[in-house]
Amino acid sequence: MSEVVKLQLIGLSVIGSGVLILLFIRSQFLRVIGFVAIVLGLFSLVALAVPQMASLPPAEESIDIASIKTPADMASIGQKIFFSKGQCALCHTIGPSESARCPDLKGIGAKLSREFIFESLTQPQAYIYLDYRHEGLPKEYPARMPYINKNPIGLSKNEILSVIAFLQQMSGEPISVNPSELEMPGSAPAAPVKSAQAETVTVAQAK
Amino acid sequence: MMQRPGMIERLIRLFAESPAAVAAFVATLGVLAAPVVGLAADSGGASAVAYRDVPGIGSRNLVWIVAQLHLLLAGFVLGVPIFAWLCEVVGWKSGEKRYDKLAKEFTKLLSSAYSTTALFGGILLFILIGAYPKLMAYLSDIFFPSFMVYCALFLLETATLYMYWYGWDAMSEGRSKVFHLVLGFLLNVFAFFIMIIPNSWATFQASPVVIAEGSDMARAWAATWNPTWWPVNIHRLIANVVLGGYICGAYAGIRYLSARTPEEREHYDWMGYVGNFIGVFGLLPLPFAGYWLMREIYQYNQQMGITLMGGFLSWLFILQAMLIGVLFLGSNYYFWMGITHRIPGSELRYRKPILAMLIILLLCLGVWMTPHSLVASLEEARKMGGTHHPLLGVFGVMSAKMTVSNLMILVTFMSFIMYWRAGKEDTATWAKLANAVMGAVLVIAGIVVVVLGVWGYFVPAIVRINYFSTSQVLLVIFVMVTITPLTALLLKSAKTTTEMVWGKMPPRAGYALVLNAIMVILLMTLMGYARSSSRVHWHVYGVMRDSSQYAFSPALGYAAALMAANTFMFCMIVAFIFWVATMGDKAKHSHGGKEKSGDGHGALPAMAGGSQTLDKQI
Repeated sequence: MSEVVKLQLIGLSVIGSGVLILLFIRSQFLRVIGFVAIVLGLFSLVALAVPQMASLPPAEESIDIASIKTPADMASIGQKIFFSKGQCALCHTIGPSESARCPDLKGIGAKLSREFIFESLTQPQAYIYLDYRHEGLPKEYPARMPYINKNPIGLSKNEILSVIAFLQQMSGEPISVNPSELEMPGSAPAAPVKSAQAETVTVAQAK
Repeated sequence: MMQRPGMIERLIRLFAESPAAVAAFVATLGVLAAPVVGLAADSGGASAVAYRDVPGIGSRNLVWIVAQLHLLLAGFVLGVPIFAWLCEVVGWKSGEKRYDKLAKEFTKLLSSAYSTTALFGGILLFILIGAYPKLMAYLSDIFFPSFMVYCALFLLETATLYMYWYGWDAMSEGRSKVFHLVLGFLLNVFAFFIMIIPNSWATFQASPVVIAEGSDMARAWAATWNPTWWPVNIHRLIANVVLGGYICGAYAGIRYLSARTPEEREHYDWMGYVGNFIGVFGLLPLPFAGYWLMREIYQYNQQMGITLMGGFLSWLFILQAMLIGVLFLGSNYYFWMGITHRIPGSELRYRKPILAMLIILLLCLGVWMTPHSLVASLEEARKMGGTHHPLLGVFGVMSAKMTVSNLMILVTFMSFIMYWRAGKEDTATWAKLANAVMGAVLVIAGIVVVVLGVWGYFVPAIVRINYFSTSQVLLVIFVMVTITPLTALLLKSAKTTTEMVWGKMPPRAGYALVLNAIMVILLMTLMGYARSSSRVHWHVYGVMRDSSQYAFSPALGYAAALMAANTFMFCMIVAFIFWVATMGDKAKHSHGGKEKSGDGHGALPAMAGGSQTLDKQI
């Protein structure tokens, strides 16, 4: 017996109990309970009558760095990070959109060098002008862009390089990031990046 | 000879009559919870445990049930003070004591309802910390400052509730009454903030924003101001008023059905009217708030919007339409029964308009419930000429649904106006002109709403959403803000031709009130499931993935069975709260009745302040 049939039987028995209460019980409170049972049973039966669709989660991907052979592989992983763990798409869009809260990244890989992108991701405050419109020391305007290599996002250097590869590929530029730059598990970091997790790149499957 | 109450009964009375005992109980719970919070904090950091399951029922189901009950109780606890305060204000302004007594008796419910809500909140916290330590550690890291504010608000709310409840009799006249009303207002202000802080946690899960570096407070603030926070705040605030009103109505309905004396029947008939009125008052703007929320969801993430409206949750909105439709029908039916049974002689006069309104409501409901795309086999789809039915597909789109929902709101509003004016004759010299203006406003608004709805098929979606739908909403609001004050002005000088007779409603009126309350509760459970499921397999959408065995969203049938069970449990808890809160009154009532104390209160029904007749006796 399928789950739907079981639930339908339960719904019917609840309605039946409600009808019996209304027919044979005189206590007003119990009669109201019977009435409520009928309403709830009917609601359940209607909900069971419509198409039953569950939403199953996509499989989680765990990518081994050793399997990355080409810059295109990196760009592919970068794309997934862009739309999931990196949370880039929460604010940025690729192409104009009304819902964009931050700059459109279409063609950004052609406009900016990889070093500048890396710096923008890891030191977003670097080129923000100081505010001199008051007495005393100038203040920093807080950058809207978060530090991508720190918590809560905490992308590792490998992941940031993959995102840069994706941005360059998406802009039609040759990918200047090479898989040989990736840090293998256990090796010392080559760049001054506070990596959160440097072993495997675990990303959720992009929708 | 009276029996001595048992220990459980004494405890129940203690909780019901003393908020101090409730506070002590909650504080004890908090102290007991402290080690658990500490353990959870440890586990969140170093331990690899991300999930713990609960055998048998499953951790997700347990969280679902407890969270749903907590939320419904919270809605009740936050809705009742609004309801009570509104009644107190009406009583103060009009001088009708029965409103003040109604407000007082509903405030009395707060103490026991408050403790039950806190109890479920505590249980929910324990389960969440135990079953989802990683998620809770993540949320605590971001929202810790708001946890502290939340606790502070609870203290303020409790202190205000003490003064509001215990000071009712002491502050019943003159300036002290004004101070009491201010206390009631403050109670609602604190309650509002108590509602919106947890809303920020839940809405952050659905529409997270990237949190930049900064102080703990700055990070919490940034996360709090996420795109769906205010739409949910407003939607929940209005929904709580609706819940409070309809539950009051349902309570009155049940008491009306079991009333034994004419006084009781009069009183509970009147209480049912007040509850239904406040419920409808909140219900009318609720779809607008819902529309704003859905618009923000689409704007935040189109994929999430599509998952809700066009994806696996699309059938849920057909169920929602059914529930809202029944609620509108139930509310209107109650109004119509009120016209025909409480106002003698008006049955014939209003039969035709009622019939016309019923037909419009049913047609609108039919359109609202029409699904856009039908799940069909290949053969069926070929016969139909596509997944969209050639005729029904036209009604399944948003343009049609927005139009009919606005028309249903207009009809319900007119039902209320009709009820308001029944049994009265205009005497103002400008009455004809006012009636003509009101009629013209209504007819023109109705036509424009339909025209915009039809036109909406021929313009791009963005134009329809940004201009047409909002214009429809603004038009309906315009009708309300034009006709309501005009009617009020007309009725100021109107002559009452037929006095309203309370206590003459048939028993089905009581069941209609119960039905309305059930529909509201079911709607809240349904939309809670929708909001949660729209995150699909994410704890925090796009940020923290749910990798537990319960990462899937169950099908609607299974979910509906749980919703029905939750609704039933909530009803039983509320019935228990009412029973506990009125236990003392019943005892006093029976005692007073035996001794014939003659203090006037002995004759009052167990709940609230009696009828107009009783008012005169006091």
